[in-house]
Amino acid sequence: MILIPQLAVRNILGAGLRTWLNVIVLSLAFVAIILSVGFNRGLLQQASTAMIDAELGGGQYWQGEYDPYDPFTLQDAHAEIPEALANLISSGKATAILAAPGTLYPDGRILPVTLRGIDPHQTILEIPSRFLDATAETPQALIGARMAKSGNLGIGDYVTVRWRDRHGTYDARDIVITQIMNTTVPTVDTRQVWLPLRTLQEMTNMPDQATLVVLDKNQTQAPEVAGWSFMNLDFLLKDLHDLVKTRLIARSVLYVILLFLAMIAIFDTQILAIFRRRKEIGTLIAMGMTRSKVIQLFTLEGMLHGVLAAGLGAIYGTPLLAYFAKNGFEIPQSGAGFGLAIGRTLYPYYSTTMVVGTTALVMLVVTVVSFIPTRRIAKLNPTDALRGKIT
Amino acid sequence: MNRSTLRQFSFRVTALAILLFSVSAGSTQTPSGDEILNRIDQNLRAANRISISKMTIHGRRSSRTLIAKSWIEGSRRSFTEYLAPAREKGTKMLKLDNQLWTYSPSTDRTIRISGHMLRQSVMGSDLSYEDLLEDQELRKLYTAEVTGTDSTLGRECWVVQLTANSTAIAYHTRKIWVDKQRYLPIQEHRYAKSGKLLKTTQIDEAQKVGERWFLKHAVFKDALKKGKGTEIEMESVQFEVEIPTYKFSKASLKK
Amino acid sequence: MIGFLLKGLLRDRSRSLFPLLTVASGVALTVMLHGWLYGVLNSMLDVNAKFQTGHLKVMTLAYAEQEEQFPNDLACTGVESLLVELRNEFPDIVWTARIRFGGLLDVPDSTGETRAQGPAFGMAFDLFTATSPERRLLKLQQALVRGRLPHQANEILMSDEFARKLGVGIGETATLLSTTMYGSVAMHNFTVAGTVVFGISAMDRGAIIADISDVQRALDMENSAGEILGFLDTLQFEKERTEAVKMAFNQQHSDPDDDFSHTMLSLRDQNGLGELLDLIVMALSLVVGIFLFVMFIVLWNAGLMASLRRYGEIGVRLATGEDKGHLYRAMLLESFMLGLIGSALGTIVGLAISTYLQNHGLDFSSFSKNSSLFMDNVFRAQVTPGSYVIGFIPGLIATVLGTTFSGIGIYKRQTSQLFKELEV
Repeated sequence: MILIPQLAVRNILGAGLRTWLNVIVLSLAFVAIILSVGFNRGLLQQASTAMIDAELGGGQYWQGEYDPYDPFTLQDAHAEIPEALANLISSGKATAILAAPGTLYPDGRILPVTLRGIDPHQTILEIPSRFLDATAETPQALIGARMAKSGNLGIGDYVTVRWRDRHGTYDARDIVITQIMNTTVPTVDTRQVWLPLRTLQEMTNMPDQATLVVLDKNQTQAPEVAGWSFMNLDFLLKDLHDLVKTRLIARSVLYVILLFLAMIAIFDTQILAIFRRRKEIGTLIAMGMTRSKVIQLFTLEGMLHGVLAAGLGAIYGTPLLAYFAKNGFEIPQSGAGFGLAIGRTLYPYYSTTMVVGTTALVMLVVTVVSFIPTRRIAKLNPTDALRGKIT
Repeated sequence: MNRSTLRQFSFRVTALAILLFSVSAGSTQTPSGDEILNRIDQNLRAANRISISKMTIHGRRSSRTLIAKSWIEGSRRSFTEYLAPAREKGTKMLKLDNQLWTYSPSTDRTIRISGHMLRQSVMGSDLSYEDLLEDQELRKLYTAEVTGTDSTLGRECWVVQLTANSTAIAYHTRKIWVDKQRYLPIQEHRYAKSGKLLKTTQIDEAQKVGERWFLKHAVFKDALKKGKGTEIEMESVQFEVEIPTYKFSKASLKK
Repeated sequence: MIGFLLKGLLRDRSRSLFPLLTVASGVALTVMLHGWLYGVLNSMLDVNAKFQTGHLKVMTLAYAEQEEQFPNDLACTGVESLLVELRNEFPDIVWTARIRFGGLLDVPDSTGETRAQGPAFGMAFDLFTATSPERRLLKLQQALVRGRLPHQANEILMSDEFARKLGVGIGETATLLSTTMYGSVAMHNFTVAGTVVFGISAMDRGAIIADISDVQRALDMENSAGEILGFLDTLQFEKERTEAVKMAFNQQHSDPDDDFSHTMLSLRDQNGLGELLDLIVMALSLVVGIFLFVMFIVLWNAGLMASLRRYGEIGVRLATGEDKGHLYRAMLLESFMLGLIGSALGTIVGLAISTYLQNHGLDFSSFSKNSSLFMDNVFRAQVTPGSYVIGFIPGLIATVLGTTFSGIGIYKRQTSQLFKELEV
C-alpha cells in the first residue's frame, strides 16, 4: 500500500488548476501578512531609529534639574560636565548638549525657542552639526525645516536672538542661519536652534557646562554619575512603543479577515473533494483502510496546500520582500507632521521569528480547516460510499 | 502669564527706576557720571512714595488701560493695588526683596511667584518677573560715564553711559539722557551684553511735584519687537508720606 | 428561462448553496475588511481630530498663524453668534467652541498660600451644555482614574500624575494662574473633580481639562474662544464634505488683509495630516487590491468546483441532446444570478457587521495595560459609499468569470464518451 503522504501529494497535484488557485490565495495571504507586519515593524523600527540617531543616542544623561516637560527648569538645568562623562565624550562615546531658553525675533515677532549647543565635530547624533563653525564672528545656527517655516527663515538669513546668561544678564545678538536640516524628528526641529556648543557656552557664560550628555548608540555601559540621571531608551521611547502597540492590535483584525478568506477557499475545496471522491473513500475503506487513515489522507491533502503556498510564497515573496527591504516604500509627501519620526521612505523590517511565526499560524489554520470537513468521513458507510451516496 | 501681564509689572519698574532720579538745577560744566547720578538721586529719591498711575497697553488687537495705586518704600519693598478696570480691581502684588506674591480677591488666594518662574520669560513675553525685581539703585549697580550732550524730546541732555559693575545684572549697559535743567532722565536705552538695544523708555512729558521733576507721561518699548509699546501716565504722586509697616506684609494682601 | 434556472437553483441545494455561500462570504469579508481598514484609519486620525484639529476648525487668521502657542489674545470673539451662524449654515456638522491655555496650577495650604505649584496646559471643552457633543466625543469616562467627571461649575479633571505631584486630592482646590485674553493676571479657583490618564507623557506631566464657561470666566473670554471645532455628524472624517464646507465658509468670512477675520481649516490642513491621509489611503488601496485579487481567485475556484460538482448533470444534459452553446449560456446566466444574489447577500451581511462595528467598535482594552484619553483602545469600522460596491462588483464578476472558464470544459466533452462516463 502506498504511504499516505505520497498518496496525498499525488492527489493534490493531480487536481491541477484548482489546487494552484488555492495555493496562490494562501501564498498571497502569507506574503501580505508578512509584508504588512514588516511595514508596521519597520515603522516602529524606523521611528525609533530616527529618534535614536537624531536625539536619543544610546540613552541620555540628564543634568539633575533638567525636565523636558517643564520649561521653567531649563534656565537652571546646566552643570559642568563630570569627569566620568567628559572621558566618554573625549573618547568619542558621547556628546554634550547645552540647552538654554531664548527668544527669537524674526521680523519683529516673538518666538520662544530653546537654544541648543552641540559640538560641530560630534558624530554621535545625526544632527548636521558640521555646518556650524564655532570660530565664526557671527554665531552660526542650524535649524530644522519646521523651525525655518515658523520663523520664516532661510539659509543666510540673520535673526536676532535674546537670551540670559547664567547670572541672568540679558544678551542679544544676531545669528546667521547656515543650514536648514530636514529631519523627521520634531523634537530636534520645532522651536530648536542649534549653535556650536562652545559658542553657546560663551554666550551663556557657562564654560564646559552641559544639560544633556548623549551616549553613542553602541555604548551599552552607563556608569552612575552623581548629579546626573541616566535615561535609557526604554524610558525615552515609551510613548512611541505604546502608540505602535495599539496600532498593531487593530491591524491584527486585517490578518484575521485575510486568513478567513483563505480558509473559505480551503474549506470549499475539502468539501468538494470529499463529495467528488466518495467512491474513492468507499473503496479505500472497503479495501481495509481505517477511517482515521482516510481522514489523515484528506487532512494531509488540505495541509499540503499550505506547504505549497509557503513554497510559492517564498518564490515570489522573497524577492518582493527583499526589494522593499532594500528600496523601501516611497512616501509621496513627508507625513512626518503626524509626529511619528518616519522619513520619506518607509522600510519594512522582517525577523525570522515573524516569518516562522506567520508560517506556523497559517499552517495551523489550514490544518484545522482541512480537518473539519473530513469528520464526516468517519460517519461514512463504505457500502453507501461505494455506490456514490454520501450523507 | 504672558507678555501683557508682565507689562503691568514693567510699568512699575520703569516708574521705580525713574523715581530713583531726582531733579536739580542745571550746571553748565560737564559733571561726572557719578555726580549726575548723585544729583538725580538726591533730588528724586525719597524714603517712600505713593502714586496712582495709568498704564495703556497697546495690543495687536486693541488697547486697554489699567489704573494702579502703588506704595513704595526705598527699593526693597513695594505694594501695588489695581483700581481699574473692574475685573482687575482689588488684585494686589507684594514685593519684598526678590520675592513676589500676587493676590486676587475673586479667588482669595495668595500665590507665590518664585524660583524658575522668576527667571522665565513665559509664552513670548518681553520681561521676566526677575526683570521686574531688578529695581535697585543704579548708582550701586552701574559705573556711570558722561559721553556727551544731546538734544532730545526738545530738551538739552547729558548723555550718560552706565556699565554694570557686577555680573548678575539683567542689563549690561544702559544709556540715559538726563535733562540738564531738570535732572530727569527723559530717555533711556537698555542694552544687551553684545551692545544690542533691547528696550527704550521715553518721558515725553514731565511734571513738577513740589521741588521735584517727575514723569507725567512715558512710553516703554521692547526694541526688538514690532509694536507701539506701553504708555504710562502718572495721575498723582506723593513723596515722603508715612506708609504703615503692615502694608508690606502678606496679611495686607487679603485686606 | 430565468425562472426555470432560478427554480433549479432553489431546488438543487448542491447546485446553489455552496457556491452562494462562498460568494456571499467572500463579498462580506471584502466589505468588512474595507470598512475596518477605513475605520482604523479614522481612529488613527481620531485622537488628532478629537483633541486638536477637529474635522474642521475655525480660528482668526492671527491665531492660526501662531496656533501652537495658543495665543488667546487673538481668539475669536462673538463666538455665540458665530456658532449660531455655523449651525444654521452647516447643520450637518457639529460645532463646538474650545479654548487651550497655559499657566500655573497652584495648590493652597490651610492659610490659602502656595503649597505646591507647577506649569499646566489646559483644555477647555463644553462639558455641561445638554446639546454639547463633547462628552460623546471625548469619552472622558474611560480615562478616569480617580473621582468623577465634572458636573458643576469650576470643576476640573487633571492628569493623575500631575495631581500626585502637586499632592492635590479629589475635592480639593487648585488655583489657575494664567493670563486673561487682554493680558492681565488671571486667577481662578477650581475644584479637582477627578483625575485621568492622557497616555502621552507631555500631557500627563501637567494637563487639566475644564469646562469652557469656567475658563471663559477665568480668562476674561466671555463669548470668546480660541477655536471652534466642527465634526461631521457621522464622526468620521470625509474629505469631500469637509472641503466643501471649508470653501464655502472661507469664501464668505476669510479676508487675508484682516488678521481677525475667521479662517476655516480642515483636518487635512493641520499637522501634516493631509499627506499622511493620502499615504494611508494609498496603502489601504493596495491592501484592498490584494484582497480583491485573493477573493477573485477564490470565487473563480468556486466556479470551477461548481462545474465539477455538476459534471454528471452536464453529461446527462448533453447526452439528451442539449446544445453545448445553449448549456454554456444557461450556466453563465445561472452563475450571473448566483453572483448577483451572493454578492447582494454578502454586501448586506458585510454592511450589517460593519455598521455594527461602526457603532459599537471592538474593545481591545484588555490587550493593552491601561486605557487612556489619547489612546483609544476601541476600534471601529467605517461604512463608506465604497462599502456598497467594493465587494459587490468583484463578487459578481469573479463568479461569472469562474464559470466562463470552467464552462469551456463543456465543449471538450465527447458525446461518444458520455454514456461510458455515466455508466458508473
